[in-house]
Parts: sequence; structure tokens; C-alpha cells
Amino acid sequence: MFKLNLSIALRSLWKHKGYTLINVGGLAIGLASCMLLLLYVAYEWGYDKQFSNYKTTYVTYNNQTANGTILSFNATPGVLAEAVKAEIPGVEHAVHVSYPDERLLTYNRNSFKKTALFTGPDFFRIFDFKVLKGNPAVLLKNPDGVVLSQSMAKALFGNEDPVNKTIKLDNTENLKVEGVVADAPKNCSISFDYLLSWTMFEKINPWAKGNIWGSNFCMTFVQLKDNSFFDKANTQIHGMIKAKEKGSNGEPFLHPLSKWHLYSTFEGGKSVGGKIQQLQIFFMLAFCILLIACVNFMNLSTARSEKRSKEVGVRKAIGSSRKDLIRQFLMESVLLSLISMVFAFILLEIALPYFNGLLGIALVIEYSSWQFWTVLLLLALFTGIIAGSYPAFYLSSFDPIKVLKGFTLSGNSSLSIRKFLVVFQFVFAACLIICITVIYQQLNYIKNKPIGYDKNNLIEIPVQGNLKDPGKFQVLKDELLKSGYASGVSYSSRTITGGGNNGYGVSWPGKNPEEKILVNYRNTGYDMIKTAGMELTAGRDFSIGHADSTSVIINETLAKIMGIKDPVGAKITWDDTPVTIIGVVKDYVFESPYQKTSALIMSHTKYIGSAMLIRVSPDQNLSKAVQFIEDKIKTLNPEYPVDKHFVNEDFEMKFQNEKLLGTISNWFGGFAIFISCLGLLGLALYMAEQRKREISIRKVLGADSLNILVLLNADFIKLVLIANLIAFPLGYVIVNKWLSGYDFRIGISVLPFAVAFLLSILIALLTVSIQSFKVAKANPIDALKYE
Amino acid sequence: MIRIENLEKVYKTEEIETTALNGINLHVKEGEFVSIMGPSGCGKSTLLNVMGLLDKPESGSYRFMETELLKLNDRERSNFRKKHMGFVFQNFNLIDELTVFENIELPLIYNKIPAAERKRLVNEIIERMNIVNRSGHFPQQLSGGQQQRVAVARALVTKPKLVLADEPTGNLDSSHGNEVMELLCELNETGTTIVMVTHSSHDASFSNRIINLKDGHVISEKINKGRTEELI
Repeated sequence: MFKLNLSIALRSLWKHKGYTLINVGGLAIGLASCMLLLLYVAYEWGYDKQFSNYKTTYVTYNNQTANGTILSFNATPGVLAEAVKAEIPGVEHAVHVSYPDERLLTYNRNSFKKTALFTGPDFFRIFDFKVLKGNPAVLLKNPDGVVLSQSMAKALFGNEDPVNKTIKLDNTENLKVEGVVADAPKNCSISFDYLLSWTMFEKINPWAKGNIWGSNFCMTFVQLKDNSFFDKANTQIHGMIKAKEKGSNGEPFLHPLSKWHLYSTFEGGKSVGGKIQQLQIFFMLAFCILLIACVNFMNLSTARSEKRSKEVGVRKAIGSSRKDLIRQFLMESVLLSLISMVFAFILLEIALPYFNGLLGIALVIEYSSWQFWTVLLLLALFTGIIAGSYPAFYLSSFDPIKVLKGFTLSGNSSLSIRKFLVVFQFVFAACLIICITVIYQQLNYIKNKPIGYDKNNLIEIPVQGNLKDPGKFQVLKDELLKSGYASGVSYSSRTITGGGNNGYGVSWPGKNPEEKILVNYRNTGYDMIKTAGMELTAGRDFSIGHADSTSVIINETLAKIMGIKDPVGAKITWDDTPVTIIGVVKDYVFESPYQKTSALIMSHTKYIGSAMLIRVSPDQNLSKAVQFIEDKIKTLNPEYPVDKHFVNEDFEMKFQNEKLLGTISNWFGGFAIFISCLGLLGLALYMAEQRKREISIRKVLGADSLNILVLLNADFIKLVLIANLIAFPLGYVIVNKWLSGYDFRIGISVLPFAVAFLLSILIALLTVSIQSFKVAKANPIDALKYE
Repeated sequence: MIRIENLEKVYKTEEIETTALNGINLHVKEGEFVSIMGPSGCGKSTLLNVMGLLDKPESGSYRFMETELLKLNDRERSNFRKKHMGFVFQNFNLIDELTVFENIELPLIYNKIPAAERKRLVNEIIERMNIVNRSGHFPQQLSGGQQQRVAVARALVTKPKLVLADEPTGNLDSSHGNEVMELLCELNETGTTIVMVTHSSHDASFSNRIINLKDGHVISEKINKGRTEELI
């Protein structure tokens, strides 16, 4: 029986090649889209779960109340890890880890500026990176020890054995290679090229030494013996900083390592989600696309029922039960879904490199993993059964006597279900169009919103090596300005596009001493405002002609918080030092362009900060100017790579999440719409089949092709109109919810709805007309003479 | 009114060619009632379809009131058909989803007749066909005879010069069949030219002239004296 069913299924698929092609094509695109999205979801879901004890590992976050709100960040005092380990029962390991920092590593003539992490020996107990060389028990115990990643070792040493070799850090510190570990996977939040000891961190940063509880400058990871200790440990760690230092503002808490990547947004000190929301959207999108492909299959199969009704009648008449028939039709659909799966694989393999490039990730299909094959097989079975269920039940329900007598299937009930399915597809398509339009509108709005400085023709260079010397910096500045390639050169303690460095130390006359106001601070060189292209609303920039050692510039937000009527000239204190406000700078974006700007204070310093800013003269050729600047820096600072950044490119990185959402929605939305069109084409085929006789009569009575085209298309337009009516409120709710996450957002206009409406109508019309046109042009007598 | 010369029509499939019409010559005068008879597959329906511009022959000439129709393009054929021709089919070919009134109104819509005028014309023909009390019904609610009356009404509502009937009584019992034939005779008496394909010599006896076809040829022509005399 099975063999017979199989051969009937194969022959039937072969006989109706057109339908099979539409079906297989739709299902293959649906399956490929679904698999690609699922691969991506699995990749993101797998973040930080590579370590054996990830379930009992926690990253310590810190709540601080400031400006009336609770801020949560993963910065802790350096001494927290040791205290947690010594004082909290149930803690297996605890370790401090510095933030990633790019430093120069040199072996013989090989120099690389790569990412370093400073940490302690417990690091390897918490994160079991595979140790390829060296003794795991002693790693990072010596102050001058360094552990290299596999690719770092390869870059520095080639095929040489690196263990026990001496290398240089920043051309000053000698380090001994203790071991080599496997590279961190791409979906791991802890990424590094080499690891250094905590003692080395304290040597380079003497301020971090000692029992300091008031400064949060590193991450702390805690591993519990098991999760039954969690509640107690979390309560205990909560009060630790305040207990150690009176008057401090930190309340640390444990956040699961497995949630670090996906649940990184906090409100009121509690985790409220993060990237997980985007992932949920993609997960839903994956199944919606598959469902749409299944709906297609249902539509096309039931549409073919007219042709297969006789087969059903004969089979029933000679003794086949309804169950047998259901089995046969389900088998056909599973077979089709398996064939589609093969094509989906081909599509997937073609799309994967492009997709990886687009998102900057490394998705791979693990052909050797049994889980992969199980999921795949289940997916194919699920698709086949879902897609085949309705046609199987519908086709097997035909009354054999009626179909054999040659009744024409009026198909009213099945037709209305098919109409419902098409409406469902187009609701989804119209919703997607609305969402995609709004995402692009929002992205455009934010991109075109003034950011408070001119990010074009602005170059940022990390200050390292000789550039730290104020004398050499001045020489460089003079040369660049004299050459005419640069019209401004300055420096700052932080990059212009980055946040960080803040404190509660700013006070002014009339401030409530109980109120904690978090203010960001920057130490800058002369001409910072001019170089960056910022705008002063009052006062002046730091400049060489003034004694600016106690001068500060504040931003508009801080001026507003202070509530001083005329802030320029006002005397305030900063960390108990009296300072004078000399200028107010227009708010500029240094954190998220979607949120309101935070308070900021700038002081002048003679010590060259961490980032140098160079404004390229607008009348100069950019590439020539950049070459000149690079050459000059290279001559002055030959041991370090120049490592220039274009500020506009760095700023673009702030839109990465939204761009990703836009790109993925765009592509997969396009696929979903394409599959929906195939479904519509299927329904058009069916309707044309159903109405062949009526159309012929109309033609005989004088209807021309245009009349027929209007008649046939009107029905579909009605369906698409209904779909739009349902999609509008639905789309509104979705985009409204999405937009509510942004301080700066567009108002929802008519445009996305108009685009969805027109585009869906146009797509439907084009699709249906392929078939309608054929019917309208057909000779009417062909349909009438075989009555 | 109609002058057909050397008409040839061949049906081709992948394997065989069938000649349906093989050099047909036929003249029909205005106001004539012509029956076409012959065995199954002799080409009579094909001839009727060609005359109704529903099918295209391979070669020959078909002049209707001095216009060569075979040179017309699709749009012109469609226009000519809706202006000058009416059709009655064996299986009525009414549209199930439309009421009697709407079915009859349809050709007027395609002829772009204004709504008020359409209403008047449809009511007039409904009255003449004696189906006034059925105008709101759907075709399935009518008997076969009534359905064919509706089909005839629909064919006549545009006042065509030529009515083409393809076995109009084929699906009817004899009393309903006679009714329809009488209707066609009345029509003919008012000056409408009728060409009818039939198997039934009884039906053919209502016409002025009977043409016999076989294998795509006209093999004989017979003047129906009784009917002609009656006409005189």
C-alpha cells in the first residue's frame, strides 16, 4: 500500500509540474527563510552558554540611584570579587575582569594592537576555555604571565611554540607566555586576544590598588556551588558596597550569565529584556513565513481538488476508506515538503555567506550534529503535516456517488476557507510592509536629527605611545594645521561617540545636598568645540590665551538641571574644587541617539587624553589629507599602528540594532510577500478554473478582455482590501509599541499605511492578472462545448 | 445577409489533425430560418461557432452584410458579435449566480446601454416571453423550458440581426421543446434571421431551409416548402 501510495504521489506531482513547481518553490523559500532565521535565533540564544557551568555563573550588575532613577551597569569595585569569595557562602569562584582594552603586544619584530583582558586565575575555573598549551593550574598566577588566544599565538609566533617565550606589552612591560587557549566563539560576550594578570593591571593603573570601594571600574563574575545558594548570595552581595564604605551609592546584584547578552536592559534596577525582544520577533517571523508557505500549499492543493475528485470517487467506490485517503494525501504533502527541504538547503547554503556578511556573524550548518538533523526532520514533517492536513481532510470528504456522476464542485465552503487563508497571508504581508516602512522612517529620522556636532570629515585617533607626550602632540598639531590638511586638532579623555566616565561630584549653589545627580565628565584639550564642530549657546571654548585650569564648559541639559539663569561666570564645585563655568555647549549625542542627552561637564587638561580629534579641512581631498595625517603620526609614533577612525562611521555603529532589524525584516518580509503571491496565484488559478464557464458565457454575450479582467481581479482586490482593514489596527499597535521604546521617535503617519495599501493592491493585481489575462484571452467556446 | 465561401477549419492535436469544415459554401438571406443537420462530428457546431465569431477558421471568407468578418481582430469581433448576434445554447448557459432579470440584462451592459433603457428593454422582453413572475428567480429555480425562454430572451434583448441556436431543444422534453421552437418561429416572423443546429428533424421542420452536413461538407440542401409557403 505504501509503495502504491508513494508511486501515485510521485506520478501525481510529476503530472502537474506547474503546481508542483509553485508548491515546492513556495515551501522551499519558506523553509529556507525559516531555517535561516532559526539558525540566527539559535546563534543568539547560544550566547555565553558554551561554558560547562554557565547555569551557576553570574555577572555582577550594580544599581545606582541618580537624578531620581536607578541606573544599572556591570561595573563594580575591583575588590568586590575577593570579598564575595571570602564572605558569601555558596560561592565557588569569583573573579574580577577588566573591560576590553586594546594594547600593543610585541614579539621580535611582530607587533599587534589587540584586545587585552586583565583578570585572575579563577577566570579559567569559571570560563572553561580549552587550554591548548601550558599548565591550566598555574595560568595567570604570576604577575608577568600572559595567556594568548590561539589566533593571537599564531599571529605572533607562527609555528613556534610560544610557551615560556618573552613578549612586550606597550613596549614597556616584559611578559612571559604561560599558555595558549582556544579562540572564544563568536557568540561569546567575553572576547579577548590575550589575558593578563590582575597584578599587572594594578601595576599599570596604580590608582586601582588597595581597598577601594568607591570606584567601579571592572566586571565581577561569580560562580555558585549550585543555584540553591542564589537567593542568599544575591541578598548578601546587595548590601556589600554600602557596608564597606559608608555613603557610597552602589547596590550590586547577580545577573545570570546566560541572560547577559539577551536581557541587558534594566529599568528601575530590574531586568526588563533587551535583545531578546528582537529575537522573539525573528522567531515569530520564522514561523509566520513557514505558515504562509503552508497556507500556500493548502490553497493550491484544494484548488486542484476539482481535478482529483474523480480519483477520490473511484478509490472510495472500490473500497478505500477515508483514513487511507487521508494517509495518501498527507504522504504527498510530506513528500513535497521533503523535496522542498532539499531545495531549501541549496538556497540556505547560497544565502548563508551573504547573511553572515550582512550581520557580521558566523552562522554555520553543523551537518555532523544529530540535533540538527532531528530538528530538520521534525521541521519537514511538521511542515508536511500542517500543509497537508486541510487538503487531506477536504479531498477525502468527497461523496463518491456525486463525484462519479460528474457533479461540479461548487466548493463554496472550501472556497471561503481559501479566501480566509489568502486574507490571512495578506494581513501578514500588509503588517510587514507597515512595520518595515516605520522602521525605515524612524531610522531616517534619527540619522537626520542634528547630533550637536559635525561628524563628517572628522577623524579620531587613539592616543598611545609618543602621542601621550604633550610636547610631541603640540608638534603634530602645529604641523597638521600648517599643512592646511587639518583645520582643527584637539583631544579628549573619551571618544566623542562613546559614553562612560561619570560621577556625582558636581555641586552648585542651591543644589539639594541629598539629591544625587549623575554627570558625565570629559577632560579635553584646547579648541575642542571648534574641532568637533559643536555649538556654544553661551560663553567660549577653552583656548590658549586664557588660564583655563579651573574653567568648565557644561551642556544644555546640565544647565537646565542647575536652573541657574545665566550660567556663564557662575561658580560651582566639582569634587569639592571650585570651578567657573565659561561656556554652555549645545547638547551633543555621545550615548544613544535615541535617548535624551545626559548631563555633561568638560574641563581643560594638559594631559593628552585617550582620543585625538582631527578636523580635515573641507576644501582638502579627504584621502590625501588622511594619508598625510597617517604619515605624520607614523613618523612621530612609529611603534604603534595609527588606527584611525572616521567619526561618522563610528557613529553609524549606534544604529546597528535598528539596521539589523530593518535589513532582516526587509529580506524576510520580501520572501513572505513573494510566497503570499504564489498563494494568490494558486487561488487565481482555481477561481479561473471554477469560473471558466461563466466567463465564456459573458464573452459570448459581448464582454471584452478588459471586462473579464476587471471581473476576475475585483474579487481579489476585495480580499486584499479586507486584509488591509485588519492589518491597519494590528500594524498600528505593533509599531506604536516598538516606537515607545525611543525618547526621540517619529509620529505614526498615514504614509506606512498608504504604502502597505498601495503595494499590496499592486502586488495582488500583478499576480492575479497573470492568470486573469490568460482566461480573458482564452477562446470561450473551449469551455462551453464540453458541457 | 451571410455569404460563406470555401470555409476550412482543422483541429490539431499533437498526434492527429481533424478537418471539421472542408470548403463550406453557404448563403443565408435576411429573414431566413436555416437549420443545419448532420451526424455527430460532421462539423455543424463548428460552423455555428465560426458564424458566431467564437471560433476562427483556417481559410475562406465570411461576409456578413458586406463586411468581411474573418479579417477582424479580437476586439472588433467582440464588438460585432455583441451588436449583431444573439446565441441560444442547448444547455442554456445561464449564469447561476445571476437572477433572470440580471442574466437578460448582461448583454445590454456589455453594449453600454444606459440603466433606465436597460430596464425598459429587459421588462419588455420578459413580458413578451411570458416570464414576468420569474424575473427575480435564479436559474436553478426554473424548469428547463423556462430556462431556455430566459436564454432566448437574453439572445433577443439586444435586437440582433442574427440568432444562432445550438440544439435549443436538446435538453428539453417535447412540449417544452415545441414551446421554444414556436418562440423562434415568432421571432423569425418579426424579421430576425435564425441559424439553428439540430439533430431533430421535427425541430428542423420549423425552418425554411435545411442544410445537411457530413464530414465537413455540405451534402444537401432542402427547401422546407410547407414553412416557406406558410411564410408567403
